[in-house]
Amino acid sequence: MKRRSFVSGTLAASSLALAGPSLVSPAFAATIKPYSWDLNPPTDTRENFIAWGKSRGEDPMFLGQRWDRFQALLKNKDIWGATTIRAFLLTPREEFASVNPAIYKRAYEHNFLDIGYGVTMSGPHLQGRMTNVIDVKRGEKVLEIGTGSGVQSAYIANLTENAYTIEIIKPLGDRTRALYDKLIEKGYTEFKHIKSKVADGYYGWEEAGPFDKIIVTCGIDHVPPPLLQQLKAGGVMVIPVGPPGAQRVLKVAKTQGADGSITTSREDIYGGKIVPFVPFTKLDGDKIVGTHNR
Amino acid sequence: MNVTVDLDNRPPLAFYLSVGLVAGSIIALQIGIMRVFSVGSWAHFGSLVVSLAMFGFGLTSAVMCVAKGWFERHWEGAVKGALLAFGPLMVVCNLAAQQVPFNAIFLISDPMQKWRLFANFVLYFLPFLAGALYLGVVFLKAQKTFSRVYFADLVGSGLCGLSVLLAMYVFAPDDLIMAPLLLWLAGGVLWFVAFNDRRGIATIVGVAVLSALVHHVAPPLLGIPKLAVSDYKGVSYARKFPDAQRTYERASPFGYMEVYSSSYLHFAPGQSDNAAFNLKNMPANAYLGFYLDSEGPSGIIKDLPAEETPYFRYLPMFYPYVLKQAPETFVVQFGGGISTAVALKSGSSHVTVAEGNPAVLTAFREDPGLRTFTGDVLRNPKITVIDYDGRLFVAHTKKRYDIVDLSLADSAGLSSPGGFSIVEKYSYTREAMSAYMRALKDGGILSVTLWNKEEPPKSVLKLYATMAAAARDVDGGNIANKFYVVSSYLSTATVLYKRGGFTPEDIAKLAAHTKAMSFDEIYAPGLKVDTTELAQILQDYRDQFFFQGEPADPTAPSEKEPNDKPPPGAPGATEAKDGAPPVPRVPATVLGRLAWHYHINGGWQKVADEYVFDTRILTNHQPYFAAYIKVKDLLKFTDRLETVQDEWGYLLLWATLGIATIFALTLVLLPVVFGWRTIFSRYPGKAGTMVYFLCLGLGYIIVEVGMISHFILALSNATVSASVLITGMLVFSGIGSFVSERYLDRARTIMPRIFAAIFLILAFYAFTIDYALDWAGTLPYALRIAICLLLILPPAFLMGFPMPTAMTTLGRLGKDHMFLWAWGINGCFSVIGAALVPIVATSFGLPAVVLMGAFAYLIALPAFYSVLMPLTKERPAAA
Repeated sequence: MKRRSFVSGTLAASSLALAGPSLVSPAFAATIKPYSWDLNPPTDTRENFIAWGKSRGEDPMFLGQRWDRFQALLKNKDIWGATTIRAFLLTPREEFASVNPAIYKRAYEHNFLDIGYGVTMSGPHLQGRMTNVIDVKRGEKVLEIGTGSGVQSAYIANLTENAYTIEIIKPLGDRTRALYDKLIEKGYTEFKHIKSKVADGYYGWEEAGPFDKIIVTCGIDHVPPPLLQQLKAGGVMVIPVGPPGAQRVLKVAKTQGADGSITTSREDIYGGKIVPFVPFTKLDGDKIVGTHNR
Repeated sequence: MNVTVDLDNRPPLAFYLSVGLVAGSIIALQIGIMRVFSVGSWAHFGSLVVSLAMFGFGLTSAVMCVAKGWFERHWEGAVKGALLAFGPLMVVCNLAAQQVPFNAIFLISDPMQKWRLFANFVLYFLPFLAGALYLGVVFLKAQKTFSRVYFADLVGSGLCGLSVLLAMYVFAPDDLIMAPLLLWLAGGVLWFVAFNDRRGIATIVGVAVLSALVHHVAPPLLGIPKLAVSDYKGVSYARKFPDAQRTYERASPFGYMEVYSSSYLHFAPGQSDNAAFNLKNMPANAYLGFYLDSEGPSGIIKDLPAEETPYFRYLPMFYPYVLKQAPETFVVQFGGGISTAVALKSGSSHVTVAEGNPAVLTAFREDPGLRTFTGDVLRNPKITVIDYDGRLFVAHTKKRYDIVDLSLADSAGLSSPGGFSIVEKYSYTREAMSAYMRALKDGGILSVTLWNKEEPPKSVLKLYATMAAAARDVDGGNIANKFYVVSSYLSTATVLYKRGGFTPEDIAKLAAHTKAMSFDEIYAPGLKVDTTELAQILQDYRDQFFFQGEPADPTAPSEKEPNDKPPPGAPGATEAKDGAPPVPRVPATVLGRLAWHYHINGGWQKVADEYVFDTRILTNHQPYFAAYIKVKDLLKFTDRLETVQDEWGYLLLWATLGIATIFALTLVLLPVVFGWRTIFSRYPGKAGTMVYFLCLGLGYIIVEVGMISHFILALSNATVSASVLITGMLVFSGIGSFVSERYLDRARTIMPRIFAAIFLILAFYAFTIDYALDWAGTLPYALRIAICLLLILPPAFLMGFPMPTAMTTLGRLGKDHMFLWAWGINGCFSVIGAALVPIVATSFGLPAVVLMGAFAYLIALPAFYSVLMPLTKERPAAA
């Protein structure tokens, strides 16, 4: 092969994969056992989990990675509720990373990963913690601002039937919607719980509101007032602040006093509890060998 | 027809012009690449790449030193080859580098990014290698007239440096490479003119046309970018909005300015969350996005109708207007105009507003779109515009104000993923704050708002310390009733200072406003603070980075590890006893309160010593919101760089210094290793000569770069300061070099005096130049530039003597290898010096930088005698 055509061909392929809706198919493309609320992946041993996932039709290699990351999440207390644990174990991150061949096999790393359009797929520790902090109950309405790779809403879809997500970048929003649809066809029917649209998330989704929980996954210089308006009293909103990989997550709680007055309070979901920060675990190849704090 | 020109004996004028233009083209290329990095990705990575690319000089010198005989025999071919390659290489390598952009934010997480950075380095290294080869061979052949050639080199570099800055008005950043290309073409043509080589002239013109064609035609033809702007730069997001329109674009030395309109742009910097429940309507499409070098956005605010102005009440810069009716207001920096709009719409009787960036003023004054959008704000009869730094104006005006506002002078303030460049922030120094405080009428209020988006807090702690110190300068010891401070977590912090002190009624009004905004009170006279929390907070912040615990073992969870306390809602999280939701406890907010407690009552220094980051105050000597990592902790962060991403700009300086030192020593020692017993065997004073040129390399660049930072004090703009300093220093030194030839025979007696004079002038400047620059800053701009040039003339002129005197001496003594080696040492240590300046400046202050330069020249004094030692005759030198 001529080097020039090889190089330009590679470039073209990767730029297509990043910019267009074309997706890399995971190696293991069997049909997945459809979702039901009764699906309960085992949490006792790695072997049992992989065997269970395999019977659902998933790739054992990624199942192993998912289990290892799950253990790291537990360890760092980024995840603790049974429903969030279930959501994590049911969500195929690799499918969402498949949009960029360069990151496909790195889906379970702690790192944030490039998915094109100047957007990253956040790491599992941050997403795990954000998901668990808002403590979604079945039936609750949850709005996500910034669909991005789609993986955050995928977690929500395992927690409630009412997940809403908005993406501002049209080609990215369209690509992720196409991915959800493809995954639904494949058997991941839980993603039917996700209603998505391409719009300016600043204004929220008024027709669908009010929401019990809101997750904002994009940076801004203030909390958008329309979102606070669409948040129910007693609701919680989480917003990451800062650059990818070093984000602090702001938790805004909306409370209504006995006199009807509405107030908000801010804290950090890591705040009050300063923690060794993302990425907590240290990888050596594919193995977690310790912390960065040693 | 070719003619032979003896470069040692009266070469033609065209030769000198050629040297000047090609040397200038090298400088222009450096500046051009820096601009490309600033606009496309990260400026400080540009510095790294350019610094290392300058090792082209070191490598050329080392190779020429080892293979001197070959170069002497083939010098004409070598020059011609280097010259013909230089232009096309700069174009092709630049285009190629744009096709392998790297993303600083993935530098740690994606192994490929390191290779992309390396590819950028290699690509940009190649043209410098060609340029350095040209100059190296020229110097080799013109040893005996070195001072004149060096004069041409310096003056050419200086003037061309200035010309490329002017070229920034003509060429947008993606075409700026044309500036060095044109200079190279002119220099190349003149070279062939000097040698009467018509075929050479035709060839280089052809190559130039081809290079320009490649730059302009290849990108559209191949569908590749001329300048790849990272997807992660602010402007890239704006460009993706469906209704985005660029309404203004202007390239100038003050930056590449773009303004975008889109309904997707939303600004309300630091806005209270309560606005959502109290404002009927948020102003729609109220902002345009303003981007400088693709960074931003800063919001340009529309002239809001009266029914929408209640919105301003919810912004932190509204605070002083809670207490002041119809004030006379001074806005220190116009920026996108938010503070000015707040001042006007909150009832100011008159607003004086300063802006130090002429490009911003030009845009707002001349662009019809911006004028309509902002209601032609700069021509509002209530407004007086000061077209230079507000800091300088305030320091010297006799006028006094009810309100002085300095709010969010920088862009959106979202943390920068690839780190920040180390830039001087003279508007926030202790001296500037004192000036603002003194410019207040009795009872006047200074309001300073800063982004508070760091966790652990860094900038705000520096601001608090700086303002408390400034208040003590103005008011003496007791400042307890002079301040009122609020913050909003991960948003903004506002410090209010009142001349004469706040009354209890003032504090009651401010406290009510704070409650209505749901902001956090950080300091108010009499606010009670629980100091028992301090030790744990300091420890926790340290543990966040340096916790020493058991390693994470994913298969065996243990209660001992990790040190995380569970997040809110998790089992084990603190709940209030009555079952009510726990009150948010935000360590950063508590630390802010503790900081003020110790600033007012004394004892902050001890706390600062124990805090994980450096929170020293900003002064005119250390005007940096940067370098928060304490030097003693630097090595501890090497395996956790991702936790301090916004410090990468600072860490890169250390990396540059480290890599530069290794490179420099390797290149300098290469000829020594190969030739200590052969090439250098009969050269006495080798060590002394090395020290001499090392000192000159370090000293010159340290003074130049250090002075650029200093002179911003008067010139208030980094670009102008750099151009004035580079041009001034190089031209004056060039003249010094030219004059030095006359004293060559008396070098032994003259040079010690020159060194002593340089040392004394620089040492004097180190401690006094601030005062001169501060005073000069108030004069008309042209006069300021003239005074700055006058100030640098004496040291720069004298600093032009040592290099050519020593080089010509080496040439005349027949120490040819050492001549080449010395040139390389000088070049290599220049790179080290340039990296050293910001590190010394952030750690010890700018006077220390100039003083370091002074001492380099003092050490060079005795070393000069080593240069004068004649060759020993016992053993023949190897060729």
